[in-house]
Amino acid sequence: MWIVGLAIILGGALNYTLLLDAIDGKLIAEIQQKQLVELRQKAEQLYPGISFIDLVSAKKLYDDKIALFLDARTAPEYQREHISGAINLPIRALVLGDIEINNVLPDKGALLITYCDGGECDIGLELAKELSKRGYNNIFVLGEGYPGWENAGYPMERPEQRSCNYYIMTTYI
Amino acid sequence: MQLLHNDYLHLAVRLLIGGLFLYAGSPKILDTMGFAASIYNYKLFPSPIIGLTAAFIPWVEVLAGLALILGVKVRGASLLISVLLVVFLILAAISAIRGLDIDCGCFSGVERKANWLAIFEDLTLLGCSFFIFYFDRLRVSPIALIKKRNNPDKKEALQ
Repeated sequence: MWIVGLAIILGGALNYTLLLDAIDGKLIAEIQQKQLVELRQKAEQLYPGISFIDLVSAKKLYDDKIALFLDARTAPEYQREHISGAINLPIRALVLGDIEINNVLPDKGALLITYCDGGECDIGLELAKELSKRGYNNIFVLGEGYPGWENAGYPMERPEQRSCNYYIMTTYI
Repeated sequence: MQLLHNDYLHLAVRLLIGGLFLYAGSPKILDTMGFAASIYNYKLFPSPIIGLTAAFIPWVEVLAGLALILGVKVRGASLLISVLLVVFLILAAISAIRGLDIDCGCFSGVERKANWLAIFEDLTLLGCSFFIFYFDRLRVSPIALIKKRNNPDKKEALQ
């Protein structure tokens, strides 16, 4: 098939560095880095007041038990895996008023770190913006999100991997 | 049913699908890394598969699109496009079931989520692609018209 043959020749010739990186396993790290840069650029343009925090600093705050981690993803995504000790605060539920934020986070000065799926998603950023609008003034965004945290070997929780009984208890009781 | 055998309907569908794939593939060739990021977002593939897909698939889309527009190797091109659409259909269905809120990576610069609407649109395109493959009619195509002009005596033979 000439289309496939020509596509292989043209695609291979024009993208050989990308292909080499892909085979070496470096491509995913490059993609994550690119997405993080784009997320930071977007934040600078749209949400100038929001600050980012790097993984090492976030881990230090985590170890010192100073910061509260907020997972902006949906409940099923949170149930699959999340940063150990993080609270699930889906951005949609917050915007729609399904969550009474003053009950969940009564201290407006608490040090909060929001996150989502990493550079590819911006709901961690949007959650930070929403909280900022509601008077919380000590918020950072973990741009690398849970994939970066997990890749660094930092503590994660995977509720779905626990026993069925425990899952039912934690979810519905 | 006679409509299905209409030359101009076949031409219109071919131009539509060919143009759409040309439009979808060209920006991906210019931004291969961006397309690789879209594939990575599905969280289903290892690095080598992402690289191979990002490097070759946009060229398959563009060349197959061009083939449909020009009326060259139409059955082969429509078959390739159908395979791409089926693969995307499976990926979009998996993403929708998993509840992933990701861009489908179908068109660079156009936000389009991999959700049930994308699946419906994909099925429509797949139907068009099958139509081109099954009712292979090449009486009206730029190449056929050039051939006709150059060889007026063979007008009937082309039909």
